Amino acid sequence: MVLEVRRATCRRFSLPNSDLRLISSPRRGFPLQATMICIDNSEWMRNGDYAPSRFQAQADAVNLICGAKTQSNPENTVGVMTMAGKGVRVLVTPTSDLGKILACMHGLEVGAEANLAAAIQVAQLALKHRQNKRQQQRIIAFIGSPVKYDKKVLETIGKKLKKNNVALDIVDFGESDDEKPEKLEALIAAVNSNDSSHIVHVPPGDNALSDVLLSTPIFTGEEGGSGFAASAAAAAATGASGFEFGVDPNVDPELALALRLSMEEERARQEAIAKKAAEDTENKDHASSSNNDSVMAEAEPATNAADDDKKEQPKDDDDLLQQALAMSMEGGSSGSASVADAAMAEAGAVDPDLALALQMSVQDANMSSDSDMSKVFEDRSFVTSILNSLPGVDPNDPSVKDLLASLHGQGEVRSFLFLS
Amino acid sequence: MACLHDHSCEDHNCAADWSLYNHVDIPKVVALNESVPGSVKSVFKPWEQRLDTSGGFLESNEGDPELLVFIPFTSDVKIKSISIVGGADGTSPSRMRAFINREGIDFSDAQNMQPVQEWELAENLQGALEYQTRYSRFQGVANLTLHFSDNFGGDITKIYYIGLRGEATQNKRDVVATIVYEVMPNPSDHK
Repeated sequence: MVLEVRRATCRRFSLPNSDLRLISSPRRGFPLQATMICIDNSEWMRNGDYAPSRFQAQADAVNLICGAKTQSNPENTVGVMTMAGKGVRVLVTPTSDLGKILACMHGLEVGAEANLAAAIQVAQLALKHRQNKRQQQRIIAFIGSPVKYDKKVLETIGKKLKKNNVALDIVDFGESDDEKPEKLEALIAAVNSNDSSHIVHVPPGDNALSDVLLSTPIFTGEEGGSGFAASAAAAAATGASGFEFGVDPNVDPELALALRLSMEEERARQEAIAKKAAEDTENKDHASSSNNDSVMAEAEPATNAADDDKKEQPKDDDDLLQQALAMSMEGGSSGSASVADAAMAEAGAVDPDLALALQMSVQDANMSSDSDMSKVFEDRSFVTSILNSLPGVDPNDPSVKDLLASLHGQGEVRSFLFLS
Repeated sequence: MACLHDHSCEDHNCAADWSLYNHVDIPKVVALNESVPGSVKSVFKPWEQRLDTSGGFLESNEGDPELLVFIPFTSDVKIKSISIVGGADGTSPSRMRAFINREGIDFSDAQNMQPVQEWELAENLQGALEYQTRYSRFQGVANLTLHFSDNFGGDITKIYYIGLRGEATQNKRDVVATIVYEVMPNPSDHK
């Protein structure tokens, strides 16, 4: 039963690689394709001129390509085979299951010589027996070792591929003797029909193999632009996703909003510290407020670690961390009270009762600016009024009364009250 | 030009007989070893235009006279006969092998498989010759694959016209369904 599929409505994908986020439509990038990737795992791949080793760089590029193909069209299939090692063999037949493809790359051994002609023949055979005959056939060959065949032989191979309507992409990296580029160019010229086949020469250097490939037609497909490739390129450049705070506002607007708000709050606090530091001469004050900020700041870097715009963050964190350490040596109840203050700032926005309590705590902070919050608890009527305003707290409850008694003179347990 | 019928053409419109091209699913026609991708679509046209090459023609690659044409139909058809207009100077195909209802045939398959029927073609520059089929074998044809394995000595093979004569039934073999893929549901798509 053949079913005709309208491929227009794939909107969102969960990507296996958490570094790259994209909302892609399958019309861009790759049309319906079955691809066989030929990996060169010959002895020449032990070389380290591509970091960390040629073989590793190749494996990364393969992973990236598989991801790109399967993401751009859910019906695309990709298969992987080796050209050397234990011999020319197919590791996984064309499948759309990315997990299987990535798994088969584990435990590959490097050795022996690559047999290009046999590999292309086997790849052709694997593609011929693809399940969906409507897919275009494509072979991607990574050639890192020297090519021992003549130009003539390669041209015959190319003609045979063209005759059977198979496209070929070649990644020429690794060894480069005099004739290798020309031979491979001749092969591509023989295969090429209507610009469907490409060749990329990657010289050794600082850029990773995968990064260089991202901008080539091998990745961008025939439509000349793929959303996946574009954002992947951006991601590689910035070292994180292209979005602020590492979260796409389309995927999770609330999280993005919360992060932005806390970022602004943090900025405001930092300005407040700067002012306070300038005015206050007392060491303890400075320490207490910076402890507060260090707690907030430590929460921030976790989410903003990859954001290049916030470069000053790490520097401030170090300073604040040092001060926090110094403070923790001294101890001090007022520090923890301000911590509670910061924690409650977020929660206060939600619950009006808590907001009331928060207001009072702010007043308290102003009242007892330096230390000795315990003075507040001596005012029992004040405490009782606070308790009454809290939901679920019965001031006549004996356990609450005992608690009040024990609280007398202990500032730090104040935080517990407001949490209940 | 002369038809092979023994009546005169004036009182009978031959063109109506060769109307099976209307039932060819032209966007899905595929040829292997064509020099210009997509040129195979131009060989399916009305009988009157069989010698008209303004829309392009099917040509094989340099030095390789083999051609494989995959013809899907929009509904099942019965094929009575086939007519081929080839090129001059030995570029006409000399042998034609037909396969029915098999998708994804390539050259190695075509060379090894037994065809449903095989014909020796003559040079037919005016389109006057038609090749009869064994009608009982060409009854419910959803797609037809024609393998032109050889020509009359030319470097390439040219085909200007492929004519099909027969009847179209209304039976559709494939159930055409529209499937919407969604990884996450999007309500606006379902309005």
